[in-house]
Amino acid sequence: MAHIPDGVLSAPVLMAGAAVSLAGCAYGLWRLEAERIPQAALFAAVLFVAALVHFPAGPSSVHLILSGLTGVLLGWAAFPAILVALLLQAVLFGFGGLVVLGVNVMSVALSAVLCRALFLAVARSGNHRQTVMAAGLAGGIGVVLTALLVSLALALSGQAFATAAKLVVLTHIPVAVIESIFSAAVIGLLLRVKPEFPGLTLVGGKRE
Amino acid sequence: MNKPGLLPVLFVVSLSVTAGLAEAHGLKALVTVEGTSLVGSAHLTPRRPLRHATVTVTGTDGNVLATTTTDDAGHFRIEAKRRVDHRIIVDGGDGHVATYTIRADELPDSLFLSPPTPLVQAGEGSLPALSAPGTDWRTFIDQSIARQIRPLREQIDAYQEKIWWHDVLGGIGYILGLGGLAFGLSRRRRRTDASPSTVTRRNDP
Repeated sequence: MAHIPDGVLSAPVLMAGAAVSLAGCAYGLWRLEAERIPQAALFAAVLFVAALVHFPAGPSSVHLILSGLTGVLLGWAAFPAILVALLLQAVLFGFGGLVVLGVNVMSVALSAVLCRALFLAVARSGNHRQTVMAAGLAGGIGVVLTALLVSLALALSGQAFATAAKLVVLTHIPVAVIESIFSAAVIGLLLRVKPEFPGLTLVGGKRE
Repeated sequence: MNKPGLLPVLFVVSLSVTAGLAEAHGLKALVTVEGTSLVGSAHLTPRRPLRHATVTVTGTDGNVLATTTTDDAGHFRIEAKRRVDHRIIVDGGDGHVATYTIRADELPDSLFLSPPTPLVQAGEGSLPALSAPGTDWRTFIDQSIARQIRPLREQIDAYQEKIWWHDVLGGIGYILGLGGLAFGLSRRRRRTDASPSTVTRRNDP
Protein backbone atom coordinates (compact mmCIF):
# COMPACT_ATOMS: atom_id res chain seq x y z
CA MET A 1 0.00 0.00 0.00
CA ALA A 2 2.98 2.23 -0.07
CA HIS A 3 2.32 2.23 -3.77
CA ILE A 4 -0.40 4.69 -4.66
CA PRO A 5 -1.75 3.97 -8.14
CA ASP A 6 -2.17 6.60 -10.85
CA GLY A 7 -5.29 8.71 -10.99
CA VAL A 8 -5.89 8.92 -7.25
CA LEU A 9 -3.95 11.98 -6.17
CA SER A 10 -4.62 15.59 -7.09
CA ALA A 11 -2.21 17.62 -9.21
CA PRO A 12 -0.76 19.83 -6.43
CA VAL A 13 0.08 16.78 -4.31
CA LEU A 14 1.70 15.09 -7.32
CA MET A 15 3.81 18.14 -8.08
CA ALA A 16 4.88 18.64 -4.47
CA GLY A 17 5.90 14.99 -4.23
CA ALA A 18 7.85 15.16 -7.48
CA ALA A 19 9.65 18.32 -6.38
CA VAL A 20 10.64 16.88 -2.99
CA SER A 21 11.81 13.63 -4.57
CA LEU A 22 13.78 15.39 -7.27
CA ALA A 23 15.53 17.61 -4.73
CA GLY A 24 16.16 14.63 -2.44
CA CYS A 25 17.61 12.55 -5.26
CA ALA A 26 19.86 15.37 -6.42
CA TYR A 27 21.14 15.94 -2.90
CA GLY A 28 21.50 12.20 -2.28
CA LEU A 29 23.51 11.70 -5.45
CA TRP A 30 25.67 14.70 -4.68
CA ARG A 31 26.42 13.34 -1.21
CA LEU A 32 26.97 9.76 -2.41
CA GLU A 33 30.65 8.84 -2.44
CA ALA A 34 31.86 6.53 -5.19
CA GLU A 35 32.86 3.85 -2.68
CA ARG A 36 29.30 3.59 -1.45
CA ILE A 37 27.62 3.27 -4.83
CA PRO A 38 27.77 -0.55 -4.83
CA GLN A 39 26.24 -0.62 -1.35
CA ALA A 40 23.43 1.71 -2.40
CA ALA A 41 22.79 -0.33 -5.54
CA LEU A 42 22.66 -3.60 -3.65
CA PHE A 43 20.33 -2.16 -1.08
CA ALA A 44 18.10 -0.85 -3.87
CA ALA A 45 17.95 -4.45 -5.10
CA VAL A 46 16.97 -5.57 -1.58
CA LEU A 47 14.18 -2.98 -1.52
CA PHE A 48 13.00 -4.05 -4.95
CA VAL A 49 12.73 -7.70 -3.91
CA ALA A 50 11.42 -7.05 -0.39
CA ALA A 51 8.30 -5.29 -1.67
CA LEU A 52 7.42 -8.37 -3.70
CA VAL A 53 6.85 -10.44 -0.56
CA HIS A 54 3.21 -9.78 0.25
CA PHE A 55 1.39 -10.62 3.45
CA PRO A 56 -2.38 -10.76 3.53
CA ALA A 57 -3.84 -8.09 5.84
CA GLY A 58 -7.57 -7.62 5.98
CA PRO A 59 -9.07 -6.74 2.61
CA SER A 60 -5.76 -5.91 0.93
CA SER A 61 -2.21 -7.10 1.39
CA VAL A 62 0.85 -5.42 2.80
CA HIS A 63 4.50 -5.88 2.04
CA LEU A 64 7.83 -4.96 3.55
CA ILE A 65 8.85 -1.35 2.94
CA LEU A 66 12.20 -1.25 4.76
CA SER A 67 12.21 2.55 4.82
CA GLY A 68 13.72 2.66 8.31
CA LEU A 69 16.53 0.23 7.59
CA THR A 70 17.27 1.91 4.25
CA GLY A 71 17.60 5.24 6.00
CA VAL A 72 19.86 3.85 8.72
CA LEU A 73 22.22 2.23 6.22
CA LEU A 74 22.15 4.69 3.33
CA GLY A 75 21.27 8.10 4.77
CA TRP A 76 20.55 10.57 1.96
CA ALA A 77 21.53 7.96 -0.63
CA ALA A 78 18.16 6.39 0.24
CA PHE A 79 16.51 8.83 -2.20
CA PRO A 80 18.19 7.60 -5.41
CA ALA A 81 18.11 3.96 -4.22
CA ILE A 82 14.38 4.12 -3.48
CA LEU A 83 13.71 5.96 -6.74
CA VAL A 84 15.32 3.15 -8.74
CA ALA A 85 13.60 0.38 -6.77
CA LEU A 86 10.14 1.97 -7.02
CA LEU A 87 10.59 2.85 -10.69
CA LEU A 88 11.36 -0.77 -11.54
CA GLN A 89 8.47 -2.04 -9.41
CA ALA A 90 6.13 0.30 -11.26
CA VAL A 91 7.42 -0.63 -14.70
CA LEU A 92 7.78 -4.38 -14.23
CA PHE A 93 4.99 -5.24 -11.80
CA GLY A 94 2.59 -2.34 -11.98
CA PHE A 95 3.05 -1.52 -8.27
CA GLY A 96 2.12 2.14 -8.15
CA GLY A 97 1.96 4.40 -11.15
CA LEU A 98 4.57 6.40 -13.01
CA VAL A 99 2.94 9.80 -12.60
CA VAL A 100 2.64 9.21 -8.89
CA LEU A 101 6.24 8.00 -8.57
CA GLY A 102 7.38 11.28 -7.02
CA VAL A 103 4.90 11.01 -4.17
CA ASN A 104 5.69 7.35 -3.57
CA VAL A 105 9.43 8.02 -3.52
CA MET A 106 8.89 10.93 -1.16
CA SER A 107 6.79 8.96 1.31
CA VAL A 108 9.38 6.18 1.55
CA ALA A 109 12.61 8.17 1.21
CA LEU A 110 11.67 11.11 3.40
CA SER A 111 10.83 8.75 6.25
CA ALA A 112 14.11 6.95 5.57
CA VAL A 113 16.09 10.17 5.97
CA LEU A 114 14.15 11.09 9.12
CA CYS A 115 14.83 7.62 10.52
CA ARG A 116 18.53 8.10 9.86
CA ALA A 117 18.46 11.26 11.99
CA LEU A 118 16.49 9.45 14.69
CA PHE A 119 18.90 6.52 14.62
CA LEU A 120 21.94 8.79 14.98
CA ALA A 121 20.30 10.70 17.81
CA VAL A 122 19.38 7.61 19.81
CA ALA A 123 22.53 5.61 19.11
CA ARG A 124 24.86 8.47 19.92
CA SER A 125 26.84 6.68 22.61
CA GLY A 126 27.63 3.92 20.18
CA ASN A 127 27.37 1.00 22.56
CA HIS A 128 26.11 -2.16 20.94
CA ARG A 129 22.85 -2.58 22.82
CA GLN A 130 21.76 0.99 22.34
CA THR A 131 22.61 0.98 18.64
CA VAL A 132 20.58 -2.18 18.04
CA MET A 133 17.65 -0.70 19.92
CA ALA A 134 17.94 2.51 17.90
CA ALA A 135 17.86 0.45 14.71
CA GLY A 136 14.74 -1.38 15.86
CA LEU A 137 13.11 1.92 16.71
CA ALA A 138 14.06 3.40 13.34
CA GLY A 139 12.75 0.31 11.53
CA GLY A 140 9.37 0.54 13.20
CA ILE A 141 9.05 4.31 13.00
CA GLY A 142 10.06 4.21 9.33
CA VAL A 143 7.01 2.14 8.41
CA VAL A 144 4.70 4.30 10.49
CA LEU A 145 6.11 7.49 8.93
CA THR A 146 5.73 6.07 5.42
CA ALA A 147 2.16 5.02 6.13
CA LEU A 148 1.43 8.47 7.56
CA LEU A 149 2.90 10.23 4.53
CA VAL A 150 0.92 7.97 2.18
CA SER A 151 -2.28 8.68 4.05
CA LEU A 152 -1.47 12.38 4.16
CA ALA A 153 -1.10 12.37 0.37
CA LEU A 154 -4.42 10.54 0.09
CA ALA A 155 -6.19 12.81 2.54
CA LEU A 156 -4.91 15.98 0.85
CA SER A 157 -6.31 14.77 -2.45
CA GLY A 158 -9.89 14.58 -1.31
CA GLN A 159 -12.29 13.54 1.40
CA ALA A 160 -13.20 10.35 -0.44
CA PHE A 161 -9.89 8.80 0.55
CA ALA A 162 -10.09 9.54 4.26
CA THR A 163 -11.13 5.99 5.11
CA ALA A 164 -8.47 4.57 2.82
CA ALA A 165 -5.93 6.74 4.61
CA LYS A 166 -6.96 5.39 8.01
CA LEU A 167 -6.81 1.83 6.68
CA VAL A 168 -3.26 2.36 5.42
CA VAL A 169 -2.04 3.27 8.89
CA LEU A 170 -3.93 0.44 10.61
CA THR A 171 -2.79 -2.35 8.29
CA HIS A 172 0.82 -1.26 8.58
CA ILE A 173 1.10 -1.69 12.33
CA PRO A 174 2.06 -5.39 12.03
CA VAL A 175 4.52 -4.48 9.25
CA ALA A 176 6.09 -1.93 11.59
CA VAL A 177 6.58 -4.62 14.23
CA ILE A 178 8.12 -7.04 11.72
CA GLU A 179 10.45 -4.40 10.30
CA SER A 180 11.46 -3.20 13.73
CA ILE A 181 12.64 -6.70 14.62
CA PHE A 182 14.21 -7.19 11.19
CA SER A 183 16.12 -3.90 11.31
CA ALA A 184 17.39 -4.58 14.83
CA ALA A 185 18.55 -8.04 13.76
CA VAL A 186 20.30 -6.74 10.65
CA ILE A 187 22.09 -3.92 12.46
CA GLY A 188 22.96 -6.23 15.35
CA LEU A 189 24.49 -8.69 12.92
CA LEU A 190 26.37 -5.97 11.06
CA LEU A 191 27.78 -4.51 14.26
CA ARG A 192 29.05 -7.91 15.31
CA VAL A 193 30.37 -9.05 11.94
CA LYS A 194 31.37 -5.80 10.27
CA PRO A 195 31.47 -2.82 12.62
CA GLU A 196 33.28 -0.73 10.00
CA PHE A 197 30.23 -0.93 7.71
CA PRO A 198 29.97 2.57 6.12
CA GLY A 199 26.52 3.49 7.47
CA LEU A 200 27.49 2.57 11.01
CA THR A 201 30.87 4.26 11.34
CA LEU A 202 29.23 7.60 12.07
CA VAL A 203 27.87 6.20 15.30
CA GLY A 204 30.10 6.72 18.30
CA GLY A 205 31.81 9.98 17.50
CA LYS A 206 33.59 9.16 14.25
CA ARG A 207 32.13 11.71 11.87
CA GLU A 208 32.67 11.90 8.10
CA MET B 1 33.24 -5.76 -5.50
CA ASN B 2 34.27 -4.11 -2.26
CA LYS B 3 33.68 -5.82 1.02
CA PRO B 4 30.70 -3.87 2.38
CA GLY B 5 28.75 -5.21 -0.57
CA LEU B 6 28.82 -8.75 0.73
CA LEU B 7 26.11 -8.46 3.36
CA PRO B 8 23.51 -6.82 1.14
CA VAL B 9 24.12 -9.69 -1.30
CA LEU B 10 23.23 -12.08 1.49
CA PHE B 11 20.05 -10.12 2.20
CA VAL B 12 19.04 -10.19 -1.44
CA VAL B 13 19.61 -13.91 -1.58
CA SER B 14 17.75 -14.62 1.63
CA LEU B 15 14.86 -12.37 0.66
CA SER B 16 14.55 -13.90 -2.77
CA VAL B 17 14.55 -17.32 -1.16
CA THR B 18 11.70 -16.21 1.11
CA ALA B 19 9.85 -14.83 -1.87
CA GLY B 20 10.55 -18.05 -3.69
CA LEU B 21 9.10 -20.15 -0.89
CA ALA B 22 5.99 -18.05 -0.77
CA GLU B 23 5.60 -18.54 -4.50
CA ALA B 24 6.81 -22.11 -4.75
CA HIS B 25 4.27 -23.28 -2.23
CA GLY B 26 1.46 -21.33 -3.74
CA LEU B 27 -1.76 -23.15 -4.41
CA LYS B 28 -3.69 -22.46 -7.56
CA ALA B 29 -7.13 -23.58 -8.59
CA LEU B 30 -8.49 -23.37 -12.10
CA VAL B 31 -12.15 -24.02 -12.81
CA THR B 32 -14.03 -24.06 -16.09
CA VAL B 33 -17.66 -24.71 -16.91
CA GLU B 34 -18.51 -27.77 -18.99
CA GLY B 35 -22.21 -27.96 -19.49
CA THR B 36 -23.70 -27.80 -16.05
CA SER B 37 -20.54 -29.08 -14.34
CA LEU B 38 -17.76 -27.09 -12.80
CA VAL B 39 -14.58 -28.88 -13.80
CA GLY B 40 -11.46 -27.85 -12.00
CA SER B 41 -7.95 -28.72 -11.09
CA ALA B 42 -5.83 -27.72 -8.13
CA HIS B 43 -2.08 -27.66 -8.19
CA LEU B 44 0.80 -26.44 -6.12
CA THR B 45 3.30 -24.23 -7.87
CA PRO B 46 5.56 -25.30 -9.54
CA ARG B 47 3.07 -27.60 -11.23
CA ARG B 48 2.37 -30.47 -8.88
CA PRO B 49 -1.18 -31.77 -8.59
CA LEU B 50 -2.83 -31.35 -5.22
CA ARG B 51 -4.30 -34.73 -4.32
CA HIS B 52 -7.24 -35.47 -2.04
CA ALA B 53 -7.81 -31.89 -1.03
CA THR B 54 -11.18 -30.68 0.16
CA VAL B 55 -13.11 -28.63 -2.35
CA THR B 56 -16.00 -26.56 -1.05
CA VAL B 57 -18.41 -24.67 -3.24
CA THR B 58 -20.35 -21.80 -1.73
CA GLY B 59 -22.81 -19.35 -3.13
CA THR B 60 -22.48 -15.60 -2.80
CA ASP B 61 -24.37 -15.77 0.48
CA GLY B 62 -21.77 -18.13 1.93
CA ASN B 63 -24.07 -21.16 1.92
CA VAL B 64 -22.26 -24.38 1.10
CA LEU B 65 -23.62 -25.74 -2.17
CA ALA B 66 -21.43 -28.80 -2.54
CA THR B 67 -18.24 -30.42 -1.31
CA THR B 68 -15.90 -32.91 -2.92
CA THR B 69 -12.25 -33.91 -2.93
CA THR B 70 -9.65 -33.79 -5.68
CA ASP B 71 -8.58 -37.05 -7.33
CA ASP B 72 -5.05 -38.37 -7.89
CA ALA B 73 -4.45 -35.91 -10.71
CA GLY B 74 -5.76 -32.98 -8.69
CA HIS B 75 -8.96 -32.75 -10.72
CA PHE B 76 -12.49 -32.38 -9.44
CA ARG B 77 -15.96 -32.04 -10.92
CA ILE B 78 -19.03 -30.53 -9.31
CA GLU B 79 -22.52 -30.28 -10.69
CA ALA B 80 -24.00 -26.79 -10.60
CA LYS B 81 -27.62 -26.84 -9.57
CA ARG B 82 -28.39 -23.16 -9.82
CA ARG B 83 -27.34 -20.33 -12.06
CA VAL B 84 -25.70 -18.22 -9.37
CA ASP B 85 -22.17 -17.13 -8.60
CA HIS B 86 -20.14 -20.11 -7.40
CA ARG B 87 -17.15 -19.66 -5.18
CA ILE B 88 -14.88 -22.69 -5.29
CA ILE B 89 -12.57 -23.02 -2.31
CA VAL B 90 -9.75 -25.55 -2.42
CA ASP B 91 -8.18 -26.19 0.96
CA GLY B 92 -4.78 -27.84 0.84
CA GLY B 93 -5.01 -28.60 4.55
CA ASP B 94 -1.66 -26.99 5.36
CA GLY B 95 -2.74 -23.39 5.40
CA HIS B 96 -2.86 -23.02 1.64
CA VAL B 97 -6.23 -22.07 0.31
CA ALA B 98 -7.09 -21.18 -3.25
CA THR B 99 -10.38 -19.72 -4.37
CA TYR B 100 -11.87 -19.37 -7.79
CA THR B 101 -15.14 -17.75 -8.70
CA ILE B 102 -17.41 -18.82 -11.51
CA ARG B 103 -19.87 -16.05 -12.28
CA ALA B 104 -23.50 -16.83 -12.88
CA ASP B 105 -23.37 -15.70 -16.51
CA GLU B 106 -20.68 -18.29 -17.25
CA LEU B 107 -23.18 -21.03 -16.46
CA PRO B 108 -25.62 -22.27 -19.09
CA ASP B 109 -29.09 -20.82 -19.32
CA SER B 110 -30.63 -24.21 -18.70
CA LEU B 111 -30.00 -23.81 -14.99
CA PHE B 112 -32.49 -22.00 -12.84
CA LEU B 113 -31.65 -18.68 -11.30
CA SER B 114 -33.14 -19.45 -7.91
CA PRO B 115 -33.82 -22.68 -6.04
CA PRO B 116 -35.62 -24.99 -8.47
CA THR B 117 -39.25 -24.00 -8.42
CA PRO B 118 -41.87 -25.83 -10.44
CA LEU B 119 -42.29 -24.11 -13.76
CA VAL B 120 -45.43 -22.11 -13.94
CA GLN B 121 -47.25 -23.65 -16.80
CA ALA B 122 -48.07 -20.87 -19.17
CA GLY B 123 -51.33 -21.48 -20.87
CA GLU B 124 -49.89 -21.79 -24.38
CA GLY B 125 -46.82 -23.86 -23.50
CA SER B 126 -45.16 -22.45 -26.58
CA LEU B 127 -42.32 -20.70 -24.72
CA PRO B 128 -40.55 -23.81 -23.37
CA ALA B 129 -40.91 -25.46 -26.75
CA LEU B 130 -39.21 -22.54 -28.47
CA SER B 131 -36.35 -22.10 -26.03
CA ALA B 132 -35.46 -25.76 -25.61
CA PRO B 133 -33.51 -26.36 -28.85
CA GLY B 134 -31.62 -23.07 -28.49
CA THR B 135 -30.48 -23.98 -25.02
CA ASP B 136 -29.30 -27.36 -26.22
CA TRP B 137 -27.11 -25.86 -28.88
CA ARG B 138 -25.73 -23.27 -26.57
CA THR B 139 -24.85 -25.87 -23.95
CA PHE B 140 -23.13 -27.95 -26.57
CA ILE B 141 -21.09 -25.03 -27.89
CA ASP B 142 -20.22 -23.85 -24.39
CA GLN B 143 -19.02 -27.32 -23.52
CA SER B 144 -16.76 -27.75 -26.51
CA ILE B 145 -15.28 -24.27 -26.22
CA ALA B 146 -14.60 -24.77 -22.54
CA ARG B 147 -12.84 -28.03 -23.28
CA GLN B 148 -10.62 -26.41 -25.88
CA ILE B 149 -9.84 -23.29 -23.89
CA ARG B 150 -8.91 -25.16 -20.73
CA PRO B 151 -5.35 -26.15 -21.69
CA LEU B 152 -4.74 -22.62 -22.91
CA ARG B 153 -5.80 -21.16 -19.59
CA GLU B 154 -3.49 -23.54 -17.80
CA GLN B 155 -0.66 -22.57 -20.10
CA ILE B 156 -1.23 -18.87 -19.54
CA ASP B 157 -1.25 -19.51 -15.82
CA ALA B 158 2.09 -21.31 -15.94
CA TYR B 159 3.49 -18.66 -18.25
CA GLN B 160 2.58 -15.86 -15.83
CA GLU B 161 4.54 -17.54 -13.07
CA LYS B 162 7.56 -17.83 -15.29
CA ILE B 163 7.32 -14.16 -16.33
CA TRP B 164 7.17 -13.15 -12.68
CA TRP B 165 10.55 -14.69 -12.01
CA HIS B 166 12.03 -13.20 -15.15
CA ASP B 167 10.89 -9.77 -14.03
CA VAL B 168 12.37 -10.19 -10.56
CA LEU B 169 15.74 -11.24 -11.93
CA GLY B 170 15.56 -8.57 -14.61
CA GLY B 171 14.87 -5.88 -12.04
CA ILE B 172 17.81 -6.94 -9.89
CA GLY B 173 19.95 -6.92 -13.00
CA TYR B 174 18.84 -3.40 -13.93
CA ILE B 175 19.69 -2.09 -10.46
CA LEU B 176 23.11 -3.69 -10.34
CA GLY B 177 23.79 -2.47 -13.86
CA LEU B 178 22.84 1.09 -12.93
CA GLY B 179 25.03 0.88 -9.85
CA GLY B 180 27.94 -0.35 -11.92
CA LEU B 181 27.44 2.42 -14.45
CA ALA B 182 27.31 5.08 -11.74
CA PHE B 183 30.40 3.65 -10.10
CA GLY B 184 32.32 3.53 -13.34
CA LEU B 185 31.34 7.07 -14.31
CA SER B 186 32.26 8.49 -10.93
CA ARG B 187 35.65 6.79 -11.09
CA ARG B 188 36.32 8.19 -14.53
CA ARG B 189 35.33 11.69 -13.49
CA ARG B 190 37.67 11.55 -10.54
CA ARG B 191 40.49 10.31 -12.71
CA THR B 192 40.08 13.24 -15.09
CA ASP B 193 39.71 15.71 -12.22
CA ALA B 194 42.83 14.64 -10.40
CA SER B 195 46.29 15.12 -11.81
CA PRO B 196 47.71 11.82 -13.08
CA SER B 197 50.37 11.58 -10.39
CA THR B 198 47.88 11.61 -7.52
CA VAL B 199 45.62 8.92 -8.91
CA THR B 200 45.94 5.97 -6.65
CA ARG B 201 43.71 3.02 -6.13
CA ARG B 202 41.87 3.58 -2.88
CA ASN B 203 40.39 0.49 -1.36
CA ASP B 204 39.45 1.57 2.11
CA PRO B 205 37.06 4.44 2.66
